[in-house]
Amino acid sequence: MKRTWLIMGCALLVAGCAGSGGSIPVVDSGRQVSSEDRHSGVGRQPQVQPSTPRDSGVVVMVPDDAGGSRAVESYPLDVQPPLQTGSGSVPGTGTQQPAPGGLQQDEQLDGPVLALLTTARQQESGGDLNGASASLERAMRIAPREPQVLYRLAQVRLAQGDAAQAEQLARRGLSYAGGRPTLQAGLWELVAEARERQGDAAGAAEARQRARVTL
Amino acid sequence: MAKKRKAKSKGKPGLGRRILGWTIKLGLVGLVLFAGLVIYLDAVVQEKFSGKRWAVPAQVFARPLELYAGQQLSRDDFVTELGALGYRTVSAARQPGQMAVSGSRVDVYTRGFQFFEGIEPAQRLSVGFSGNQVTSLSGGNDVVMARLEPLMIGGIYPAHNEDRILIRLDQAPPYLIEALIAVEDRDFFQHFGVSPKGIARAMYVNLTAGSVVQGGSTLTQQLVKNFFLTSDRSLVRKGTEAIMAVLLERHYPKEEILEAYLNEVFLGQDGRRAVHGFGLASQYYFAQPLHELELHQVALLVGMVKGPSLYNPRRRPERAKARRDLVIQMLAEQNMITPELAEQARAKPLDTSTRGSLADSSYPAFMDLVRRQLREDYRDEDLTSEGLRIFTSFDPLLQNKAEKAVETTLKRLGPADGEIELEGSMVVTGAQTGEVLALVGGRNPRFSGFNRALDASRPVGSLIKPAIYLTALEQPQKYSLVTLIDDSPITLDAEPGKTWSPQNYDRQSHGWVTLHHALSRSYNQAAVRLGVDLGVPQVLKTVERMGVPHRWPAYPSMLLGSGAMTPVQVADMYQTIANGGFNTPLRGIRNVLTAEGDPLHRYPFEVEQRFDSATIYLMQEAMTRVMTEGTGRSAYNQVPASIRLAGKTGTTNDLRDSWFAGFSDDLVAVAWIGRDDNGRTRLTGATGALQVWSAFMREAHPRSLSSQPPEGVVMAWIDRETGQGSDPSCPDTVQVPFRAGYQPLPGPGCRPLLDVEVVKDGGNKVLDVIRGWLR
Repeated sequence: MKRTWLIMGCALLVAGCAGSGGSIPVVDSGRQVSSEDRHSGVGRQPQVQPSTPRDSGVVVMVPDDAGGSRAVESYPLDVQPPLQTGSGSVPGTGTQQPAPGGLQQDEQLDGPVLALLTTARQQESGGDLNGASASLERAMRIAPREPQVLYRLAQVRLAQGDAAQAEQLARRGLSYAGGRPTLQAGLWELVAEARERQGDAAGAAEARQRARVTL
Repeated sequence: MAKKRKAKSKGKPGLGRRILGWTIKLGLVGLVLFAGLVIYLDAVVQEKFSGKRWAVPAQVFARPLELYAGQQLSRDDFVTELGALGYRTVSAARQPGQMAVSGSRVDVYTRGFQFFEGIEPAQRLSVGFSGNQVTSLSGGNDVVMARLEPLMIGGIYPAHNEDRILIRLDQAPPYLIEALIAVEDRDFFQHFGVSPKGIARAMYVNLTAGSVVQGGSTLTQQLVKNFFLTSDRSLVRKGTEAIMAVLLERHYPKEEILEAYLNEVFLGQDGRRAVHGFGLASQYYFAQPLHELELHQVALLVGMVKGPSLYNPRRRPERAKARRDLVIQMLAEQNMITPELAEQARAKPLDTSTRGSLADSSYPAFMDLVRRQLREDYRDEDLTSEGLRIFTSFDPLLQNKAEKAVETTLKRLGPADGEIELEGSMVVTGAQTGEVLALVGGRNPRFSGFNRALDASRPVGSLIKPAIYLTALEQPQKYSLVTLIDDSPITLDAEPGKTWSPQNYDRQSHGWVTLHHALSRSYNQAAVRLGVDLGVPQVLKTVERMGVPHRWPAYPSMLLGSGAMTPVQVADMYQTIANGGFNTPLRGIRNVLTAEGDPLHRYPFEVEQRFDSATIYLMQEAMTRVMTEGTGRSAYNQVPASIRLAGKTGTTNDLRDSWFAGFSDDLVAVAWIGRDDNGRTRLTGATGALQVWSAFMREAHPRSLSSQPPEGVVMAWIDRETGQGSDPSCPDTVQVPFRAGYQPLPGPGCRPLLDVEVVKDGGNKVLDVIRGWLR
């Protein structure tokens, strides 16, 4: 894993990736499920414990007392940890991000995919691999040919202990990663790791060789 | 109990004393029995009320509609989905469940929902559209993406067909509790389970009428009746009910009893299914969650408690409205609402939704698929009682388009020979995800009988051919798209003593043709010759690698599709080509939550690379030619020519089955037309199933296939006629993709010098060149 990250550098926009410039809160409307009691039903208002605002810019609205005449409840929206990117702010539309270090213009991820990758990263670091996986698949449905999504999905599968699927997903990523040597190297590195876990030392060595060649 | 015993007179002590003694003894026995009964009933009440009170069927949800700038979605489709979710049109969306529609934007206040990977908040959004695309999404906090809550498409019911959407007391809308108490049980909060006043009144009425015609039942008694007892009206049952009501009140607080009542009360019948509880009734009659209901809607439901079929708003609107207005009036009389508010509420229409049923029976083909997939992991009783929440990939918008395509095309084609109705089926999947998005099981999509999409196994005809050509293209040293294939007549040994001479559909032979030409024109002789050269077992192995485990014998006739597949299997096979050579098991379920909303099970995306992506790219290229110049041409009468599509027609012997399977960048769709008695349809793949497929694609607005070659593919100029390497300066040259390293060497250019090439094709060309010199 560590080695991969060294190679990848900032190729993936993730929280904690050091860079320069301002921090941008990216809002994704999914959030961790609290352990509040829940009921079934379409359109039921999930009860969410008001979380403490992480910075003064967030308005936390407390759910209305039930039985009142207002059926409207609002929830605190999560604010993502600041993403470090080159400059500017994330527009609300799917326009291209400004280039962070090391990514070509055509490798920029736009709004929803970026937001989901960020969410997945949080879920993963919180130990919720299933949630991370679900968020990444959501991203994949939006951008099925984005190798960065497949790369992350392969990583999560590896963390979940499914090395065979990790390898397949990385290979799928490779089939879309033409002309992106950094990403290809990272994907080959993942293939190598997955093969190692499956006890295929020769295959792993071959993949490592491919990783070196692409760079 | 009251057995009359005649005491034998023996002239011993006084008669009166003896009767008194007996009475005391009998009374004591009665008391003991009564005490026993009470203890027994008490156990019954507690056991039932403290444990799991209801078996809640699993709820099945469609995919949630994603919203983000750039999403492929038309404004009309968006409004359709909002309508199905019971959103109300208003001038300004101020609370969840409301939308305001204008020319190119829709303002909507979404309802919050809990998904597998987190909670989606309720929020106000403004969505801008242009053509078939979302161009902008704005709301609070720089929102980048959002989801609507998913449409519930059905439940998985136990045999007794009870359904519920459980609600908590605090989720009741304003006036619901007030109205219920005002109408059904005025002193609910004062009585101890039974209301002597009410009973006295009822007894008086019943005695004068000579039979039981009225009940003075409290809400508690009604709950007991629904919960523990049958509905016969005997005095014994009445007594038991009263005892149990008192016991219930002793053990449980009023609030808990009221909440149970809200979830238990019977409010209508939806086909075979009973509608229990206000939560479900709200969905059933208004297609809205309960807490969104307004006073006039609440009053309608409360009025129905007395007689759900008597006051059914869909069947007896006048009577239902009169009853509703009476409830509103009672609220006003008891000073729970102001006269003005009552007036406003009475002026409103019934406001029930048009959909006459919950989605239980709406999408039987897809629900069938969901059930089958769940049975692999869950026991039936878990599915019908645990209230599991099942999230699927089902896309109701695409489903409606697929249904319409099947219905309208079959109507247009009319009946086959002998006035036999044609049947049809369709499968739509996500090309990159392998998720089943829509499923049509027959010409009547509401009919839950024979699910042809999953169960009609029919010979596939020419749909098998991509497997032959794919097998060839996997040998780049021997085959490319422009390799010449012999389409001359061929006779093979079939079963002992029989020979088999396949014919082309046009009864012609076409000599040597390029590989892609043979596929796009669906030449049978060329396909059989090529398949025999490659080896029938090899071709059949390719079919398995494409995702269809078939167990077919390796007869040459298999090369022309005498083997049978179901539409779903065909979708699986073509999915592998659409998906760049990666096979994914088709699946309809994404994940499962418990009733409490805890993640329970995920069906993750899984892929396996079965073919190399360069080979698949060539295959896709050949299959796009089916659409541009081959048997699939007529699709472009309905779909814009700018959309790159790939596909293949299939026709079986004697025109019995008509197939078409094809894909865009984002959708794989398979259409089948045939007869249940396997009789002749008189349709080819192109005149039948392709028409269904094209009608669907016209409405589905598919994304154009990418023509961007993957690594390992190079483009080369070749002569259209000979397939030899050529040069762009020559006439009749085209660029064709090849596996890298196997492209032909470029030919000499055709600058207007002395050109040796012109001799090649005989006099005409020579004369042309000479004319050119003379000019």
